[in-house]
Amino acid sequence: MPTPLHASHLLNRRGFLTNTVTGLSSIALAQLLDGQRMLAAEPTSRGPIRPSLDPLQPNAARSTHFPAAAKNVLMIFCSGACSHLDTFDYKPELVRLHDQPMPGEQVITFQGEQGTLQRSPWQFKPRGESGKMVSTLVDQLAQHTDDICFIHSMTGKTNTHGPGENFMSTGFTLDGFPSMGAWVTYALGSANDELPAFVAIPDPRGKPQSSNNNWGPGFLPAVFQGTDFNAAQPIRNLERPPSVSEDRDLATRKFLKRLNERHLQKFPGDSELAARIASYELAAKMQLSVPRISDLSTETNQTLRMYGADDSENPTKAAFARNCILARRMIESGVRFVQLFNGAYQTGGEGTSNWDGHKLIKKQYDVHGPILDQPAAALITDLKQRGLLQDTLVVWCTEFGRMPTFQKGASGRDHNPEGFTAWLLGAGVKPGSYGATDDFGYRAAENVVTVYDFHATILHLLGLNHQRLSYYHNGIERRLTDVHGHVIREILNSPERMPV
Amino acid sequence: MESVQIRIGQALAGLFVVLVGVGPTGIAADELDFVAHIQPIFEQYCVDCHGSDRQEANYRLDHRQAAFGMSDSGETPIQPGDSGSSLLMRLVRGQESDRVMPPEDEQNPVSPQSVRLLEQWINQGADWPDDDVIADETQLSTDHWAFQPLASDVVFPHGSYPATNHAIDDYIRRRLVEHDLQPSPKADRVTLIRRVYLDVLGLPPTMNEVRAFVRDSRPTAYIELIDRVLASPHFGERWGRHWLDVVRFGESTGYEVNRDRPNAFHYRDYVVRSLNDDKSFQDFVVEQLAGDVVGVDAATGFLVGGPYDMVKSPDVNLTLMQRQDELADFVNTTATTFLGLTVGCARCHNHKFDPILQRDYYAMQAVFSGVEHGERPLRELISAEASQQRQDLDHKLADTKIQIKALREMAAGLTVSEKEVNSRNRLPPVNARQNVEPLAPTTARLIRFRIHATNSSEPCIDELEIYAVDGKNVALAEHGAVAVSSGDFANNPLHRLEHVHDGKHGNAQSWISNEVGRGWVQIELPQPVTIHKIVWGRDRLGVFKDRLAIAYSIEVAVEPDGDWQVVASSERRQPFPGASSAEDEFIERLPRLEAKRARQLRDDERRLETMVQRLEKTLPVGYVGEFRSPPATFRLYRGDPFSPREQVGPDALMVTGSLNLEIDTPEQQRRLALANWIASPDNPLTARVIVNRVWQYHFGQGIVATPSDFGKNGVPPSHPMLLDWLARRFVEHDWSLKWLHREILLTETYQQSSRPNNRALAVDAACRLLWRFPPRRLEAEAIRDGILFVSGGLNYHAFGPGFLLLRIDHQNVHHYFPLEDLGPDQFRRMIYMMKIRQEHDDVFGVFDCPDGGQVVPNRSRSTTPLQSLNLLNSKFVLQQAAALSERIRSLAGNSVREQVLAAFELTLTRRPTVDELKDAIQLVEIHGLKSLCRALLNSNEFLFMS
Repeated sequence: MPTPLHASHLLNRRGFLTNTVTGLSSIALAQLLDGQRMLAAEPTSRGPIRPSLDPLQPNAARSTHFPAAAKNVLMIFCSGACSHLDTFDYKPELVRLHDQPMPGEQVITFQGEQGTLQRSPWQFKPRGESGKMVSTLVDQLAQHTDDICFIHSMTGKTNTHGPGENFMSTGFTLDGFPSMGAWVTYALGSANDELPAFVAIPDPRGKPQSSNNNWGPGFLPAVFQGTDFNAAQPIRNLERPPSVSEDRDLATRKFLKRLNERHLQKFPGDSELAARIASYELAAKMQLSVPRISDLSTETNQTLRMYGADDSENPTKAAFARNCILARRMIESGVRFVQLFNGAYQTGGEGTSNWDGHKLIKKQYDVHGPILDQPAAALITDLKQRGLLQDTLVVWCTEFGRMPTFQKGASGRDHNPEGFTAWLLGAGVKPGSYGATDDFGYRAAENVVTVYDFHATILHLLGLNHQRLSYYHNGIERRLTDVHGHVIREILNSPERMPV
Repeated sequence: MESVQIRIGQALAGLFVVLVGVGPTGIAADELDFVAHIQPIFEQYCVDCHGSDRQEANYRLDHRQAAFGMSDSGETPIQPGDSGSSLLMRLVRGQESDRVMPPEDEQNPVSPQSVRLLEQWINQGADWPDDDVIADETQLSTDHWAFQPLASDVVFPHGSYPATNHAIDDYIRRRLVEHDLQPSPKADRVTLIRRVYLDVLGLPPTMNEVRAFVRDSRPTAYIELIDRVLASPHFGERWGRHWLDVVRFGESTGYEVNRDRPNAFHYRDYVVRSLNDDKSFQDFVVEQLAGDVVGVDAATGFLVGGPYDMVKSPDVNLTLMQRQDELADFVNTTATTFLGLTVGCARCHNHKFDPILQRDYYAMQAVFSGVEHGERPLRELISAEASQQRQDLDHKLADTKIQIKALREMAAGLTVSEKEVNSRNRLPPVNARQNVEPLAPTTARLIRFRIHATNSSEPCIDELEIYAVDGKNVALAEHGAVAVSSGDFANNPLHRLEHVHDGKHGNAQSWISNEVGRGWVQIELPQPVTIHKIVWGRDRLGVFKDRLAIAYSIEVAVEPDGDWQVVASSERRQPFPGASSAEDEFIERLPRLEAKRARQLRDDERRLETMVQRLEKTLPVGYVGEFRSPPATFRLYRGDPFSPREQVGPDALMVTGSLNLEIDTPEQQRRLALANWIASPDNPLTARVIVNRVWQYHFGQGIVATPSDFGKNGVPPSHPMLLDWLARRFVEHDWSLKWLHREILLTETYQQSSRPNNRALAVDAACRLLWRFPPRRLEAEAIRDGILFVSGGLNYHAFGPGFLLLRIDHQNVHHYFPLEDLGPDQFRRMIYMMKIRQEHDDVFGVFDCPDGGQVVPNRSRSTTPLQSLNLLNSKFVLQQAAALSERIRSLAGNSVREQVLAAFELTLTRRPTVDELKDAIQLVEIHGLKSLCRALLNSNEFLFMS
């Protein structure tokens, strides 16, 4: 039932704001909780929900807005705009009209004029029981076809990579907004306080196009930013420096603790001071747990082989495979949000070490496909075998799609935010295909899905109301989905258990 | 007190009158009746959502005034007399791409007959008889506190609470009394001086300064301390950092390519200097918005300090949206920074909470529509000599332009026939195949063909023939002539110097210069010959038409060092089609002498312009924006650049009155007018917003806790009368920020202890009432600066290009990698660190240090294990701990006890307690002094301001 504007929730919100705008600083916890209760007691309210944060344990697990289908998220992000037309979106018309001009008006896209329609250089084959057609470029991922919920009607708002990655990761094309992982950990905290709640695993070839924006905190407190490390590059400053011996380190930290505790006696009840003392304890735990979780030597040879981590002929693939194993270990340990990147810009521009196949898509994707395919497919198999898909939502996405045509005078596809594919798999998701692009795969034509809808659905699966999860910043009650977004109910396993 | 309330409803009512006036009059009574025909349609389809119970999009169709008003989209859905442009009709007919009314899911489309009736009614002028509904319900009013004039002082009754010495304390005390709270006792002197230094300078005091202050029992000691810190050059470095957060200043483009901006630092320096010089805040405002008017170019770095999407594309969808986003950044940052208003919310629709119309957003956009990202010379940094040079050039250029103008006017004044005569007396235009140059018979041994311009690329000549009066081509090599040139096209067998006089035609036997658009080739004859004709071409075979010399001259001489004489030139020809710009066409119509003179003048003009450009390149430039002639601005329906509505002129917010600018006001005047309006003492927002910011940084939170939102969605002030007192006095004191700081710092409220007490915590845990000084963790910059300060490593080098904590990989897309080895260059204060967006500093980035992607009016303060790890284990901290221990050794010698005392004094500016001393001595004896230093740099006491 709609609530009239300017109804009581605004008053509540205002009272609420008064106490919480200074972020986490706060001894204001007591009032903050009061504010929260006030909202919780008002089930019909449409007002913002700002989770109550315990300054001593800002990442402590917090309750969802309603029962959740998924507890954590593994996002596989293919940086550079992975072509839907060469992977998951099969278009017979492209075969039929191969090398003919696309009907309709001449389209000017990111790099300019279009050449003719081009069928994919890779074969599509029917997969699984559903018989859905998936390309041989991702042969191994295709083995999971029957478990995947494909969304073929994704649309974006920009056709440049930086803003596109921002959009997919933060819900805004602009710089400086909190990433989805930051929102989720802000809302839910984490079950494991010995590991970061939100881990970003950059590709072995480097960072993606919008770099730290993808896992940045934006204006959320820094505690919610993603910690970036991968199997080859540990967290910076995690380890005790070699110049400091273990007992010296321990003695120093004990001295520090006593010093801080004596200081705290002058400020009884000051949670910010207490939180800093606690943060050293947490840091010590993390120093033990992160190396433990990053140590892949305990994995069996069979596992390493399944992921391709032993592939001595393709070291990039082997390195990405190790990142995939690391991702599984994170999920296993209860890390709330894992963002695993495939593709990078730090070591090679357009198409070289990412999915940005403008000029030579065949040659470039023949490099990138095998790096992604086996390791990512094994990751899903592994999660499934270990029963982790019960609680884990796997998200595969990219910043936008590519054109059904080749660029004029080139053998690759230009950017296309008008229609592309993303998929979900695991907790709470109904396998199948949702939405469709037109006959050429150019524009989303059926059940059009925006990035906002995609985000709303992911939050929904986590038990979060995307319209209410908010953070006040600079005059605006900010949300991951801005003022947009609809949950795609059709792809939920049990939509009835979610509130409207 | 008179209220400035301006009722938007009244403004709309005015609009209504105008609109009705436009519609046709004299509707026949029998044609259409509103009550009988139209009202039932609204009732059947519309008023459920647009009526008295609900007003979706703030629009209603149940009474006249509201129906002719504006909806949230900024549209006026009914345009009397014009159903075609009425949004209501488009929605009903389903002509809007994304919406239809009533909404599809209601499955209640308006019947075709009703659509026709509505159409007819609107086309006939949309007559709607008066109704009695009071307009209040639909009015957005501005009774919101922040728009009201500043309140006058409160006179406090005597005896209601203990007397204070400062009006600020009176206001604070009054609210405490209301809540039955007491202020805290005065902080001890060590705490106090430490607080003042950290708060005002961002650096801790030295032990000597602490000792002197503690010992100084004179009543003026504290006042002198405040005056001293406010005069310190470090003041601007501390408070400049706060300002740079507010204005989202960064030194890279952000977005995809994230290029660094090596010349952006001038703005940062401007801010630091302005604050140190206590520049009037009025000037500070005007300079940042229109510094180019007042000779402070660096200040407009404010406008373009934000991220900028440099990736441009032929795709117009992308390009238009990028520009809209740039303009939104200018508007939003200006409005939140100076006015504390979220004007950006009105980009797509009227503001949901505040009296800000969509029109207001686009009016402000029109103010900035000529502003572009980019660099500009900084006139304030130009040397006297360069400035004189520039003045001379400008003078000459102006003079030249006047003469050209006169000739232009002369050409325009000629009769048609005169023009034709002047132009007919010429040779035909050059052509690629062959050109004949008739000469008065001349004796020459050297003939030089000099090219000044081509139609493209390096000039090409396939053959140069020189005819003696006897008809013989004396240029041929076989007759002993020698060719020389200014330079030849590299290593191409088709194009060689000897081809120019080999008697063979065509591109494959030609000469090409090595310079684009210019060069010369010269034929030297064995002996002087009387010549009367020269023939040349680019490709006598007629295949190629590029590389053609279109401006050239032919000079001859008898001896190399003799007199050279121009015997022919392109000036004798009619212009090459397309060669002379429209600007030069007038020359061709002039008589020969005047034409020659005009050509000379145009050459001078171009040369002078080039010199000006070249001079500008050597001048200091800053990333402070470029200004262009502003294109027209239109209100965009739902913010969509493909849905422009009416044109909007430059203006401020309607609710606070108009700037009264013409729609085509020059670019600079627009910004200046807005700046003057913002910086006016009559603007109720500006002074309130800045005094609140200053208050916030001193006390950790503002009187208004939402410092960049003074609108209805923000938090109301905790002490409204105090806010107004501060704002009014601030204006009276010439908008002096240092006056404001001093007043605040001298209060008892500021000087009270930060210790908590349970009773007050229970009443006001967030300390909004300021029953104590609120303690808090220092910001990233103050922590880093403080560590360097106590270790003795701080490099005081101020201003100029910033240092980098990253290594830049200059690809198209810039990549950044943490710098592994740091030295004194990186040990400057952190405000001088080049702020690269998206890339946090390795150690301090996790301390809620913003990257300039968005404005940050107050930083969050989080506590994380990664912060602890960075302070414990980073190379930086270990290096500084080692430096600190060396410093201690040099001060305290080898006695461990003395070392411990010195360590505490240097870092915490106090002596250790007995327990601490014992504990620390033990640590040093077993694990060394560095361990103690590492611990102290990690201690809460070091990292907090209390």
